[in-house]
Amino acid sequence: MLHKRTRRTIALSITAIAVLIAAVATWLIRQRLGHASMATGWTLLASVGLLMLLGLRKKLVMLPILPVRVWTQFHIYTGLFALAIYLMHVPVVIASGFFESTLSLLFLSVAGSGLYGVWISRRGAKRLTAIAGEYRFDRFGWHRRTLADRAAEILTEVGQTGDVPVIAQFYRERLQHYFSTRPSLAYVLVPTSHRKRRLLTELGELDRYFATNVKQAAGRLAALIRTRDDLDYHYATQLRMRMWLAIHIALTVAMLVFIVVHVLMVLRFQGA
Amino acid sequence: MGTTSTIEIRRPQRWDQPFDPDMQDRDVQWLSSLSPFSEMDKAAFPASTPLDGVLRNDCRIRHVQPGEVIVREGDYGNSAFLVIAGSVRAVLGQLPPQSLGRTTAKQKGWLSAISALWKQPRFPEVRTVDQITPGGSSRVQQHGDTASIFLQDFDGIVTHQRTLQIGPGEMFGEVAAMYRAPRTATVVADSEATLVEVRWQGLRLLRRDRVLAEQLEQNYRTNWLMIHLRETPLFRFLPENCLQKVADATLLRSFGRLEWHSDYRRTRKLPPVEQIESEPLVAMEGHLPTDLLLIRSGFARVCSRHGEGHRTLAYLGKGHMFGLREIVHNTYRDTNQAPVTLQESLRAVGFVDTLHIPIEVVAEYVLPFIRRSELPDPISRDDQQARARHDIASQVPTGMLEFIVQERLNNGRQAMVIDLNACTRCDDCVKACATTHNGNPRFTRSGPANDGIQFTQACMHCADPVCMIGCPTGAISRHPETGTVSVHETICIGCGTCAASCPYENIQMRTMRDPQGRMYFDESAGLPIMKATKCDLCQSQPSGPACQNACPHDALVRIDLGNLEDLSDWISRRR
Ligand code: SF4
Ligand code: SF4
Repeated sequence: MLHKRTRRTIALSITAIAVLIAAVATWLIRQRLGHASMATGWTLLASVGLLMLLGLRKKLVMLPILPVRVWTQFHIYTGLFALAIYLMHVPVVIASGFFESTLSLLFLSVAGSGLYGVWISRRGAKRLTAIAGEYRFDRFGWHRRTLADRAAEILTEVGQTGDVPVIAQFYRERLQHYFSTRPSLAYVLVPTSHRKRRLLTELGELDRYFATNVKQAAGRLAALIRTRDDLDYHYATQLRMRMWLAIHIALTVAMLVFIVVHVLMVLRFQGA
Repeated sequence: MGTTSTIEIRRPQRWDQPFDPDMQDRDVQWLSSLSPFSEMDKAAFPASTPLDGVLRNDCRIRHVQPGEVIVREGDYGNSAFLVIAGSVRAVLGQLPPQSLGRTTAKQKGWLSAISALWKQPRFPEVRTVDQITPGGSSRVQQHGDTASIFLQDFDGIVTHQRTLQIGPGEMFGEVAAMYRAPRTATVVADSEATLVEVRWQGLRLLRRDRVLAEQLEQNYRTNWLMIHLRETPLFRFLPENCLQKVADATLLRSFGRLEWHSDYRRTRKLPPVEQIESEPLVAMEGHLPTDLLLIRSGFARVCSRHGEGHRTLAYLGKGHMFGLREIVHNTYRDTNQAPVTLQESLRAVGFVDTLHIPIEVVAEYVLPFIRRSELPDPISRDDQQARARHDIASQVPTGMLEFIVQERLNNGRQAMVIDLNACTRCDDCVKACATTHNGNPRFTRSGPANDGIQFTQACMHCADPVCMIGCPTGAISRHPETGTVSVHETICIGCGTCAASCPYENIQMRTMRDPQGRMYFDESAGLPIMKATKCDLCQSQPSGPACQNACPHDALVRIDLGNLEDLSDWISRRR
């Protein structure tokens, strides 16, 4: 078996050669005053057809027709090829007129979301591994509740040992909400450790008002704040990785509808 | 606040859990009056483990009915049987699996595999009645407090198969019990018979009796040793007479506890240094090699001293050798050179069975018949081979090697391993597993991880499938050719023994429903019908393991963790 990097180099080279051949063919057709856009159009349609096969293959996991990983690679490089053909096909990157410009935008967003998918799959996977914890997507709610319960328990425990108004107030005003709510959309889109740092700083500033046993409880709460932040980071990254696929598929469906109309129109006007 | 107080508890004793808690004094007396126990030298047994103690704690008396299956070919057992009265019959040919209640999963065609997509049941674990109760030529029957399989057409089978009658005073199943090998024949009760079942620990103690020990060893030497030596690839060109000389000189030894799985939960928590030091030493680094070691079963860790601890360099499993390089070097060295000592130590991981061939015998009867190209290079300062070996180890970092051994993952022949740096946590693997199992995924994407690699909790189809030990009906068994460990649901009585024995918690007990979602209940006990469920490696699917097929990111493989090169190769291919 080849090293992944070697495979990538080979696949990129094959794609580049295919693009080069298509470019030369287009140039030759144009030189002979032929309809290069017809050739690129049909090539693009064929590429889109090939790109659709991945979805089908994923449904038929039980069949021995090359593993999905091979189809995914094929999908990525065919996508790159299709993008290059698109650029040869269109007179301007975003065509004018409502229909054509929408189709251009749809194509570019499908391609863009695809490229984003390749990037986030690699980067997201590595980031998830680097941040402590391993969480299953269907269990995030349970993990959040467990952390919230542990934070509440710490407060109850420390409350039994004496008068703890400062930490109790801080918990009520700042932590209870942090632990009991889901991360915001803004956090999901751009996860930052800003909130965590602010809470830890505020908790640290209160340190001088705490008795020794409360200090220990505050330390445990700080650990929970960090864990919750890691959990949210995992959640945001996993959610984005799932969301991009849903968006990619939705855009693809819309693009297909527009492509069908576009092809029908081309055939109609060509025949006319 | 420090404390110096101690808690006094009773140290668990060797016989805290007798094999048969109902064994009575009179049973022990009766057994000791029978041959071969009556002829045994009681003085050969130490005071802490007397013969009577063995009979009371490590034996149980079994009465079997005609047609009752006592052991099945392919089963894993840790007990041997002695016939006291009546007779049993070993079926030497293969019985059709169906007659033992084992239904082999039929490979689906493409069409039926696809059509299953539309037939996904609405409820979990849906089965038809004939999928969960035995039909045809076998039946499960409660017999005393155990469930047994009975052969329906016993007479017909005996007439058409080559069989061997085993009568009073004869023993069977001892090799499988001593060496945790699969049973090689199915044994069925011929008539009403009484047997003494001796568990492995007891058998080991009984070997203190010289006559029995010699008889057992002789049986092994006559029936098995030559076969095992012949299976060793390096010995393939040895003439028969040399192989016989090797067999005659070979010593059989065992290290560690066969029931490693019961210690596993405790030892895996120990720090690596302590864990390694707790492992029985098979051969010690720095000592002159005296024997060539051949691993017959179990696992061993190859390690060398490093600072205050030990560095794990590799682990060995069935068929691997230890000490060959040093022996070859010493045999062919110049006469003015000093012999080298063992470069590494070998330690039993849980349990290991070894064959020891003395070096003189190796030099005379083995080395001349091994191709020079297959022999390891002599040891030198700038040692090529040592470097090659360390290259393997360097792809699999020492930390990971230690982790694998500590978690006993080296047992996995088809372990599910995920590269977390490539895994997007999309769960396509789990969904694919569910799709191929009527909507019931057979694993969850979780499990111990080390250095960005997760060893997922899915049945690993182990080299030593301890889950199979103790299954009363033989419902969990290993495919003789593919090695896949699967559950034959028709005869699984849902006792949960396998789930409790699997050290990796890879078996789940599930309640069964009919296609309308109604739970099945046992008509006599009124309890829900449970079955053991686990990864079956998608045996019936045309694609093979769906999880591996479905991963879009090339993050998941099924891999033999007993073979370090496979793992090393996979690690080196990652981006
Ligand atoms: S069930 Fe457990 S012990 Fe049995 S083969 Fe699978 S992983 Fe190994
Ligand atoms: S299919 Fe591959 S990438 Fe997705 S969760 Fe499974 S191992 Fe990870």
